[in-house]
Amino acid sequence: MQARWLLPVGIGATVVVQVAHAAQYMSVEQAQRAAFASATRFEPIAATIDAAALGVADSWKPLIWRVWNGNATAGWFFEDAVIGKSELITYSLALDASGKVTKLEILDYRESHGGEVRLAAWRNQFRDKTSADPVALDRDIRNISGATLSCRHLTQGVHRLLQLYSHVLAAKP
Amino acid sequence: MNSVRRARPWLGTLVDIRVDAMDEACAVRAIDAAFAEVATVHRLMSFHEASSDLARLRRAPAGSCVRVNARTHEVLDWSRRIAQASDGAFDPCVATMQVALGVLPVPESNFVPDARAHWRDIELLDGERVRLRRPLWIDLGGIAKGYAVDRAIEVLRAHGATRACVNAGGDLRLCGPNPERVDVCTAGGVLFPAIELVDGALATSASSGAQHLYGRTREAVAAGVTVSVAAERCLVADALTKVVLADPAPSRLLAAFAAQAWMHDARCGWKPLVLAA
Repeated sequence: MQARWLLPVGIGATVVVQVAHAAQYMSVEQAQRAAFASATRFEPIAATIDAAALGVADSWKPLIWRVWNGNATAGWFFEDAVIGKSELITYSLALDASGKVTKLEILDYRESHGGEVRLAAWRNQFRDKTSADPVALDRDIRNISGATLSCRHLTQGVHRLLQLYSHVLAAKP
Repeated sequence: MNSVRRARPWLGTLVDIRVDAMDEACAVRAIDAAFAEVATVHRLMSFHEASSDLARLRRAPAGSCVRVNARTHEVLDWSRRIAQASDGAFDPCVATMQVALGVLPVPESNFVPDARAHWRDIELLDGERVRLRRPLWIDLGGIAKGYAVDRAIEVLRAHGATRACVNAGGDLRLCGPNPERVDVCTAGGVLFPAIELVDGALATSASSGAQHLYGRTREAVAAGVTVSVAAERCLVADALTKVVLADPAPSRLLAAFAAQAWMHDARCGWKPLVLAA
């Protein structure tokens, strides 16, 4: 191990520079393939979202795909974004044909300041979760002290997508 | 061959894994295995989850032997070593006070913890067994994230990766021969291009309110201070940031663990706590 300090002693006492910080992890196509390796087709779905019934903002427009394996539905795939404390996080959610969460991936994030994005949304708590289960902080998703808004918002994002699935997509023939 | 980089929410933060100079399919497999290991560490050492080893210890009567996973045993062993070396400034038993202050949620437990209990009351026995001499609650939040990063690096290496970076919300470890610059984010949310690191770990902790407690007195450390510690293992770097926040004259301790530390506050800016050898 070698560590070399790069800054003069005393720097940072007065000068404050906000640095934009961003990371790109996966493209939507990569995330789709990672979630559904044997899918034959990803069909974009233009769902009509009843914002009032779902309790979401009118402007909420997640991207939705129905995933086909031959003539059978293999599952559903969503791309959505949530705003954390100061960052925008784009993520994808994959559901199997019965509506269970199989994969949650961060696609990218952008934030107005440095490295730390705290998300207390434990992945295994999303696994096997269906829209019949309440997804809420302080209930079955445990929040962690010190977590910023990112965690709440990612949790809420997954909850909204599961609601959308059960209200709009599950009944599709 | 390009880098492959993935991020998933684990350990209460965003865990970011990057593998360089490896065939893409192999890198993806290595990264998936590393995330699986991070998930295992998370499940075993979560303060909150009812199935974690820590929750199992809270259900067993004090004085009884509880068998835990080898990983939990290893982290408890390191916790005791760092607690001993820091004369209790690092103490995973501050959880009781953190719950009282509302920093941690009230966990399920079969006993009321003894407020006087401390790290010496955690007895490690062979066969991966643990015995609590007094009723106490353990929180590994100050060390398990670093351990998860170390384990992820080991898994990546076992899958053939030679150049990689694992970053769990600011606790990171690099492996490989190339130096890389690491930016440090301070308590005020400012990013500094601070450190060039080769094949080692860097952890950063910022104090804010009652989040970090001084193990000896159980009092909150001063707010607005940021500490970065470089060490070979991320577990050591992670744990020592908490010690340095509590005790900013840690020369002997840093030397004992071959670590370097830097501190930032808004008044004095950055200063090294021990000059590099």
